[in-house]
Amino acid sequence: MKKKWLPYILVSPYIIHFIVFVAFPVLFSLVLTFHEWNIISPMKFKGFSNYIKMFNDRMFWKSLSNTFKFLVIHIPLQIIISLALAEFLNQNIKLKGFFRAAFFLPVIVSGVVVTILWQQLFGFDSGLFNRLLVSIGFNKVGWLIDPNIAMGSIALMATWKNVGLYVILFLVGLQTVPPHYYEAASIEGATHWQKFRRITLPMINPTIFMVVILSTIGGFSLFIEPYIMTGGGPLSSTMSSVLYIYKQAFQYFHMGYSVTLGFFFAMLILGVVVIQKRYIEQGND
Amino acid sequence: MIKKIYIICLILLYACNSSKDEEKDSLLFWSSNNRGEIEFSEHFVNQWNKSQETKIKFQPIPEGQSSEEVILASVVGKTTPDIYANMWQGSVEMYAKAGVLVPLDTLEGFTEFIKARCSKKVLEEITSSDGHIYQIPWKINPIMTIYNKRLITDFGLPELPSTYDDYLKAGEVIKADKDKDGYVDQWVGYTAVKVIWYERLMNFYPLYIAASDGGALVKDNKAAFNNEHAIGVFQFLQELYQKEYFSKERLTAGQDRFITEDLLTQWKGPWEIRHVNKFKRRDDFEFGFYPIQVPDSHEGPVYTYSDPKNIVVFNTCKQPQEAWNFIKTLIDKEGDKKLLKITTQLPNRKNLEAEEIFQEYFKSHPKMKTFAIQANYIKGVDNSEVIVEVFDIISQEYEACVIYNKKTPEKAIEDAAKAVDNLLKN
Repeated sequence: MKKKWLPYILVSPYIIHFIVFVAFPVLFSLVLTFHEWNIISPMKFKGFSNYIKMFNDRMFWKSLSNTFKFLVIHIPLQIIISLALAEFLNQNIKLKGFFRAAFFLPVIVSGVVVTILWQQLFGFDSGLFNRLLVSIGFNKVGWLIDPNIAMGSIALMATWKNVGLYVILFLVGLQTVPPHYYEAASIEGATHWQKFRRITLPMINPTIFMVVILSTIGGFSLFIEPYIMTGGGPLSSTMSSVLYIYKQAFQYFHMGYSVTLGFFFAMLILGVVVIQKRYIEQGND
Repeated sequence: MIKKIYIICLILLYACNSSKDEEKDSLLFWSSNNRGEIEFSEHFVNQWNKSQETKIKFQPIPEGQSSEEVILASVVGKTTPDIYANMWQGSVEMYAKAGVLVPLDTLEGFTEFIKARCSKKVLEEITSSDGHIYQIPWKINPIMTIYNKRLITDFGLPELPSTYDDYLKAGEVIKADKDKDGYVDQWVGYTAVKVIWYERLMNFYPLYIAASDGGALVKDNKAAFNNEHAIGVFQFLQELYQKEYFSKERLTAGQDRFITEDLLTQWKGPWEIRHVNKFKRRDDFEFGFYPIQVPDSHEGPVYTYSDPKNIVVFNTCKQPQEAWNFIKTLIDKEGDKKLLKITTQLPNRKNLEAEEIFQEYFKSHPKMKTFAIQANYIKGVDNSEVIVEVFDIISQEYEACVIYNKKTPEKAIEDAAKAVDNLLKN
């Protein structure tokens, strides 16, 4: 009897956690998508009206396009910089430990703190970046006040913040490449670039895949940076999807609608990740 | 063994039960968590607990991203305090409609007391659409123009720029590139450019109230701001940005250009007195306050936004009458005097500047007297369940028109009014 129940008792913490924190919220949210609810008043059944509203909500589609714009800048930038830094740290250089810690430091610093710091660096009149630009004879840049540049500025900051994590991942990937591959290539007269292109990149493909997936999911959840730095402006150019969903939920208390947006957004992330996975796997073959 | 466990359980159950009994007789009171209001609340709670049978348990509002979020979470979790002091007037209607607040006008002695304390206008403002009153007008922080006295003298301005035209002229005079890097670094004023709705409470809204003598944004469930006043405010602000009399920079909390004397004016409330005195860089830094700018043709007193914070009683309160009896001690004349002294905030009371009891304070704090005089001409926010969304819609148009000049003021206000009408229709 005791033996029969033991496995169930052992897995019960996870099962309870799963039911309370995953299954129930997901099912409750699904029900909520068909309702109007401001949290404090009783729910009202609204059928598919939240879905219809979503398809007609121009701001939601703009927020999606903003998020994709962010991903298009952020992911390649993240991969290129972190791979370059990992390659640098993989050489026999002095102060390797110091550099590793230095690159990783922004990852563990609070996102809010980093964002406030960068907001000051990006300041138009008194920010450090513009002071430097003016001192070398360039014009000031509206880092956060020019609608064409603001999302790029946020992508730059987010890359700086997260690059340390991906450097570590790439470093692990680079260290798994057997050194004799490079030795053989050197004997054959391969250049450094050829070795990188023909040996390193194919060998660290699984790491690249992981970095792409992680930075895609991380990029889709862009929130703190625009929330603190721009509030979604200028002219809604940095209104990310998560920020818009948050606004609907906690500013206007449109819980049903925000959950509908959340569901659609989660499906979209899933779709993008599946496509990425297939594409990278095809490349691997 | 089983007997022993049973006895221990019984003892524990009894202990829990007795502590609940104790809590049942007390009232939980939350205040804002700033130092002054904690001191103020503790003073009155201690005084009450000395002489009353029903005890008050005081606690500053728990930490959270904003007090609004904490209150919302407590309403959802049914862990609301009995009394909460510091509710933004604009939030009350939503809670009232959800039925989580006590209609205070049903309590004995409330109506008489509040009529004696507040002006008819304030009472109209706080009366809910169902005819009941769910909030006690407590304190206000009217928005006025703070100015740097030295800069006024240095630039030879004949008088304080009080109209749009004068203010724009002052903008031209003050505008300067002090470090000669080709960019303006001295301005007539600064106000937040962030698109978030509450920033409009410190720029568009007081200017609109001033221009329209306390006009409404929402009336009879329709947008009421598609008028010359709102258009005039957008035009005025748009010109300030276009001519670089205002900076578009997003400043963080630690960056204060008034303190560094790069600004002639700003739109602020009485809290700024303490702030400037604390952080000013020269002992002889002198500043003063005057009313918000109005259109050139404006006549009569200048109204402004009062930034009202009120007291509410939640329906989880078992003894609302006793809660009201306690609240009365906070807001009677003695309570209001203490509020002034401890928190440097004004009570929302009629004829404030003329009341005998406050004269001594105003004599020693002449800047606060300026705000007390202004308190005769104030407006809070319209009683609408969706007032935050209304401000958000205006804020989107404000950014497009005022900051980025993408729309004319007429079109921006028209679009905002249409969007608000749609919102209210749904």
